[in-house]
Formats: sequence, C-alpha cells, structure tokens
Amino acid sequence: MENAWLIPLFPLISFLILLLFGKRLKEASAYVGILLTLASLIYSILVLFERFSEPTYVTKFDWLTIGDFHLTAGFEVNQLNALMLFIVSLVSFLVHTYSKGYMHGDERFHVFYAYLGLFTFAMLGLVISPNLLQTYIFWELVGVGSFLLIGFYFYKEEAKAAAKKAFIMTRIGDVGLFIGMALLFWQTKSFEYSDIFAAVDAGQVSGTMITLTAILIFIGAVGKSGQFPLHTWLPDAMEGPTPVSALIHAATMVAAGVYLVASLFPLFSASHTALMTVAVIGGFTAIFAASIGLVQTDIKRVLAYSTVSQLGYMMLALGSAGYVAGVFHLMTHAFFKALLFLAAGSVIHAVHTQDIEEMGGLWKKLKLTGPLFLIGTLAISGVPLLSGFFSKDEILAAAWEGGHPVLFVLALVAAFFTAFYMFRLFFMVFTGEARGNQKHVHESPSVMTFPMIILGVLAVVAGYVNTPWFGTFLGDWLVDGNEALAAHGHHEGPVWIMILATVVSLLGIYLAWLIYGKRSVSRNWLSGSGDMLHTVLLNKYYVDEFYQLTIVAITKGISYFLRFIDTFLVEGIVKGITGFVQGLGATGSKMQSGQVQTYGAVAFIGLALLAVIYALTGGYLR
Amino acid sequence: MSSVPASAFLALALILFCIGLYGALTKRNTVIVLISIELMLNAVNINLVTFSKYGMAPSITGQIFALFAISVAAAEAAVGLAILIALYRTKKTVNIDEMDTMKN
Amino acid sequence: MTFSGEFLAFMGLALVAIIGGVLLLNLTRVVHMVVALIFTFVAIAGIYVLLSAEFVAAVQILIYSGAITIIMLFGIMLTRHNDESESKAGKWRKFLLFLGILGFAIAVYLGIYNFNIDQVPTTLHENNTMQIGQALYSKHIIPFELVSVLLLVALVGSIVLAKKEDKEADKE
Repeated sequence: MENAWLIPLFPLISFLILLLFGKRLKEASAYVGILLTLASLIYSILVLFERFSEPTYVTKFDWLTIGDFHLTAGFEVNQLNALMLFIVSLVSFLVHTYSKGYMHGDERFHVFYAYLGLFTFAMLGLVISPNLLQTYIFWELVGVGSFLLIGFYFYKEEAKAAAKKAFIMTRIGDVGLFIGMALLFWQTKSFEYSDIFAAVDAGQVSGTMITLTAILIFIGAVGKSGQFPLHTWLPDAMEGPTPVSALIHAATMVAAGVYLVASLFPLFSASHTALMTVAVIGGFTAIFAASIGLVQTDIKRVLAYSTVSQLGYMMLALGSAGYVAGVFHLMTHAFFKALLFLAAGSVIHAVHTQDIEEMGGLWKKLKLTGPLFLIGTLAISGVPLLSGFFSKDEILAAAWEGGHPVLFVLALVAAFFTAFYMFRLFFMVFTGEARGNQKHVHESPSVMTFPMIILGVLAVVAGYVNTPWFGTFLGDWLVDGNEALAAHGHHEGPVWIMILATVVSLLGIYLAWLIYGKRSVSRNWLSGSGDMLHTVLLNKYYVDEFYQLTIVAITKGISYFLRFIDTFLVEGIVKGITGFVQGLGATGSKMQSGQVQTYGAVAFIGLALLAVIYALTGGYLR
Repeated sequence: MSSVPASAFLALALILFCIGLYGALTKRNTVIVLISIELMLNAVNINLVTFSKYGMAPSITGQIFALFAISVAAAEAAVGLAILIALYRTKKTVNIDEMDTMKN
Repeated sequence: MTFSGEFLAFMGLALVAIIGGVLLLNLTRVVHMVVALIFTFVAIAGIYVLLSAEFVAAVQILIYSGAITIIMLFGIMLTRHNDESESKAGKWRKFLLFLGILGFAIAVYLGIYNFNIDQVPTTLHENNTMQIGQALYSKHIIPFELVSVLLLVALVGSIVLAKKEDKEADKE
C-alpha cells in the first residue's frame, strides 16, 4: 500500500511512451497501453485487498513552504480511494482493451491511446489525492484529458464544439470549486482533508461558511458530473469515440463529482442546507434527464441522459445522507453503464449508425452483444438480483429514511422512466425487423467482447457486496473506522420500498414492451397525447436554447461591446501613442542621414551655441 | 621686445581654424575635407608656438608639441587618403554625401 | 603699436594665409584649392619664424607644403578630380553653419582680444634646432619613440588599406 502512488504512474508512462514513440509503434501502441493499465489494475486490486485488513495509509511530504505554512503533496489510501482506484483502473483497462478493436484502422490510433493514458493517469491521481489542492490539480488534468478525447475527431465540427462546450461548462463548475477551496483554506488554513474535517468538527468554521463552501464545492461537482443546470455538455460529449464515452462519461470522470462530494462528505454532513441542496439538485436532475431520455433517438444520447440521471441518483443518495448508497451506486453504475456504452459501441461498430430508428432486429445478428446489452439494461432498470437493483434500493431507502418523501417519489418516478427508456432502447435496437441499411452486420472481434463479458459478469454480481440478504459488507467496510461516516452507513430500508421499486421498474419494462416490443400500444400513444410535451422533451427542455438566448447572448453582447471599446477606444489610444512614437522615430531616422558632415555640423552648432551662451552670460569674461 | 601682441597671433589662428572648420563641414570632395582638417591642425600649431614664446612660462616644449602634432597630422593624412582610395575603389566616388553607410 | 618691420611682416604673412584660406573655400576646381592652400602653409611657416621657431618653420614647409600637399594632389589625381566640390547640402545648413562658426569665432575672440601677459625674454631663437634636439632626446624621448611607432603603423596601415584586394588583383 506504501507504493500506491505507482498506480497512476503506469498510465503516465504509457502516455509518455506513446507521445514519444507512438508514431513508430502504430497499432502496437495498444499493447503498451493495455499492459501498463493492466499493471495498474493488478496493483489496485492488491491495494484494495490490502486495505481490507489494514488501516488507512497516508503519506505526505512538504511541497512548498511559505512562512509557517507547509503545502504538502502525497497520497492517501482509504476505503473510498481504494475502491475508486479499483473501479477506475478496471474500467480503464477494459476500455484500453476494447479500443484496440473499436479504433482499429484509425489514423491517430496511437494518439488515442496516449490520451487514454493521460486521462487514466489524471483520474487515478485524482482519487488518491490527500488534499484539496492536489485534487484540484488532477481535477483539471482530468478535464484536459476529457477535452482531448471528446475532441478526438476534431475534424468534425460537432466534436470540436462538443469538446469546447464540455471544457467550458465544467470550467464554470471548477470556478465554484476553486472559490470553495480558497474559502475553506481561508477558514481552516489547510488543504488537507483531515485538517478540514477536524476544523469543521471542532466548530472552527461558522455554519454559514460551511454551507457556502460546501455548496461552492458542490458546484464543481455539478459541472463535472453533469448535474442540472450544467448537464448540457455531457450528451454533446457523445461526439467522442464510444470507448471514451464508456470510460469518461460513464465510469470515471463524471463520477469524479460524486467522488468529490463523497470524499468531502463530513463537510457536507455538517450543513443541513448543503446536503439538502445536493439532494434536491440530484433528485431533480435524475427525473429531468430521465424524462429527456424517453424520447431521444440517438443510442449514445439516450445512454448519456441515462448517465446524467443516474449521477443525479448518486447525488440524491449523498444528499440524503446515504453515503454508502451513493458510493455503492457509483460502483455498480460504473460497471453496468460502461457495459452499456461498450455494447452500444459494439452495435455502432456493427451497423455504422447511432440512430436507433435505423436499427432493429439485431438480436440474432449480434449473438454476444445482445445478451450483454440486455444484462446492462436489466441492471440499470433495477430488476431484482442484478447489481443495479441493490444499489438503487439502497438509494431509495436512503431517500426515504432521510425524510424527503418528495425526493423519494421523484426517485421512484425516475426509476420508472429509466426502466422504460432503457427497454425502449433495447427493443428498438434488438427486436422487431431491421430498419435501415444493415447488410454487413457482424459480431465484434473478441478483443471487444472480452471486456464486455467481464463487465457483464460484474454488472450481475457487483451488487452482492452490499445486500440486505447476504450482509452489507461494502457498507460496513466503507464507514469502518470513520465516525463521521458511521451514521450515514447502510440503511436498512423497509421491505415495501424494495417491492415498490421492483414493481415500478417492472411496470416500466412492461410498458416499453407493450409499445416497442409487442406494439399493442401505438408508439404515438405518448407523443400523441402530449404533442407539446414530446417536442419539449425532444428538444431537451430547450435548456441549450435557453443558454444560447440568455447567457451566451449576454456574453456575446458584452464581448461585442468590449470589442468595440477595444477596437475604437483602446486601440485608438494605442494607435495614437504608436503613431506619435513612430512619427518621432521617422523624423529621427530621417535625421540619421548617415552623412558625417551633417553630424559634424549639428555637433558643432551645438558647441557653438554653448560657447556663445557661455560668452554672453559671463564665464571666463569676468 | 616684439611689437606684435600675442593676441594678434591667436586671432590669426582663430580665423584659420574657422576657415578650416567651415571647409570641413561644407565641402563635398573628401580630399578637400581632409585638407581643411589639416588647416585646422595648423591653426592649433600656431597657438602652440605662440604660447611657447609669449606664454606665462615660455619654453621650447611648445615647439616640440607642435612638431608632434605635425607628425601625427602627417600620419593622419596618409591614413585618411588610403581610406579614401579604398572607398573610391568600392564606391566609385569621393563625394562625402554619397558615403552614408552609417545610415543602415 | 609701431609699424616695425616685424609688424609689417606679420601683417603680410597673415594676409597671405587668410587669402589662401578664403580661396580654398571659394575656388571651384579641386587642384586650385590645394594650390591656394600651399600659400597658407608657407605663410604659416613665416609666422613660425616670427615666433622664433625656425626649426618648426622648416618642418612646416617640408611636411605641409611638401609632403601632405603632394599626397593630397596624388589623392585628387587618383580619384575623379574634376567634379565640382560644392556640397548639395541645403542653403539652410550652410547658413546655420556660418552663423554657428561666426558665433563661435566671436565668443573665442572675446576671450583673446585683450589677452596680454607680461612678456618674458626668451632665448628660443638662439640655436633653436639644438634646443629642440636636446629637449627631444632627453625630456621627450618616450613620446618621440612613440611617434616613430605611430608613423610606422600609419605607413603599414595606409599600404594595407590602399592596396587592391587579393581577389581583385587576381582577376586583373
């Protein structure tokens, strides 16, 4: 565990190697990336198992010393970090493997792997940071990695725009995080998590300040995790290659926001208002994104909105003081959402389109992808015995126990929506007759199916680490030795919640089956009854347009105004000054005729003038 | 004693100096400019020799100084002319206003 | 002030010197200018005699009227000498320069016109050359040797400068 710092180093080495020798290695770059992330994965597993038996390991060294203040850097392996290390390195390894098939033949194959390495390094570095400052550094690095990967197809206008949007939107959140961080530092004189928590416990920080900093930091999480109102970048980010979507926008980066809130949970739990904000934003995002997901026709966009919705779920859980529930769902979601994305990538790889209207009847053609996708769909819908069921149940229980009946209902409705749109997606893609051009449909190579199988297995079994039936191992472990979290451990929800959740999701599946599977209900049943509603949903509640009309327009207006000032006022002054200097210089250089006689004449006239003045005013005449 | 006051010699030297100066700063031919400079040196020599006789402490040193000045002037004239010839070879002119390489 | 022979001689020599200088400024042909200057140089030699500096006077005639003038004439002949030697420089510059020189002359003249110090009898005119020789070889021996070095350097330098470049020489 002492050498946990090596884990992020492997992908960094991969990045550096590929940066230097990528062009020569070409497709062999994949092996570099896969092997080094495998090393990370093995190490993370070792660390995770070690962590079961040993206490938290922290090491720091002084990085900067300013007066009495020591800025430290180092790493920490606590339960949450070890778990995150495992999740990130696993998903990263699988995505590395998967990409070898998916990206095959791409001209910038090695660049893709280099970026993957950079991103993985940043993400792994993020999850072992022991202090806020280090977290922030890696947080931004993660943003850079995501920017590069989303904009990987930079020759596509949409990809370029999406990359910019992702960067700017998350940046808005980062500003919040930064201010929150600065305020915390001002209050507690430290960036260390442990010091901050101690200060909060000891009541050194006023209640208002805790609420303020917590909410500001939460804004950072909102940006990164695609929560409302900064969620719009995440669906657009689907312009990146699909493995990237699986890695960044399902399992790791978007989970960073949740991770941040989780790792600062003692801070949040000290303020009721902050927790409430987290819960409300999370709950609203969950149902908001789920409702948009109902009508989208792009396979990746549906998954993206589903991700936003699920992240909302996690936030809701954390906000309802369900620390274990949130982290648990983070883990299971990483597995089944990565599975879904990879399966979707496999489908796209096979039919070369992302529009589900052009798919259909792929069940027989994609013998492996189909069942795996089904597993993912079942898991996310919360069908009993799969991982999603347990974690979702945990969240619902947390919401109920947390005393937010409204949020509980919201979560329930969101669960219904989730089940409905996921199965809508499944039925549209895999059942019925083929729509669109599907001549060369073939199953993906084994290098792509292998990671999906692993994730499929995990999507099924991952839930059993924390169940009401076989013990709550994960929950106990996560809060072990941490009194601040112990109160927010596993919630033993009433049985009726579990039954209700199951019924709701099954209802959603049944409805989807009626409409898209059996087609006994017209597809227009929903859109017909609420044409307006359908349009609104299809346009994602016009949030993008709203931003375009308000913030973007205002910013543009201000920019135009400032540009006007710049061109006419500032530049005018500048031009005046430069013109004056230039004129002076021109006159001066004209006088520099290069003729010795002129120079001599001028010099002598000066001397003569001095002599005359001297003679007239006295001097030696007196 | 001498019937010519020292100031007369000095005035003569001043006039010759001014003529030389005017020539050096206005003439176009570089040879004439060089000669004008010689004239200025001569005016200085007159001063030196005058003070060697009419100074506060008359002594032979003034004349010796004049001799040194003459030899340096001779050297200067030779080098100056050599430079002029080298210049003429490259620029095909001896007009001082066409020699403006300092400008660039 | 009496019209002694010395005074007359001074006036005559000064007049010749000044006329030579003025001719230098006003003649148009370059050769004529140099010839006009020879008069000035010779007249200055006469002035030296009046100032009891016979040796300097002889040197003046040898070096200036002889060597330097001949060098200058060579220079003129080696270059295009029939160009008009009038500067193109504007009349403004000439005028300003003239004013400046006039001002300078007046300012200096104010300083010297009543310059009069007690004249001390000197023995400069007795064995003038011997005195100079003794002073040169005793008191001023180091500057004297340095001047010889200077002249050598000037000699070598002028030869190097005036010599045609090797490449050009090869071409021809």
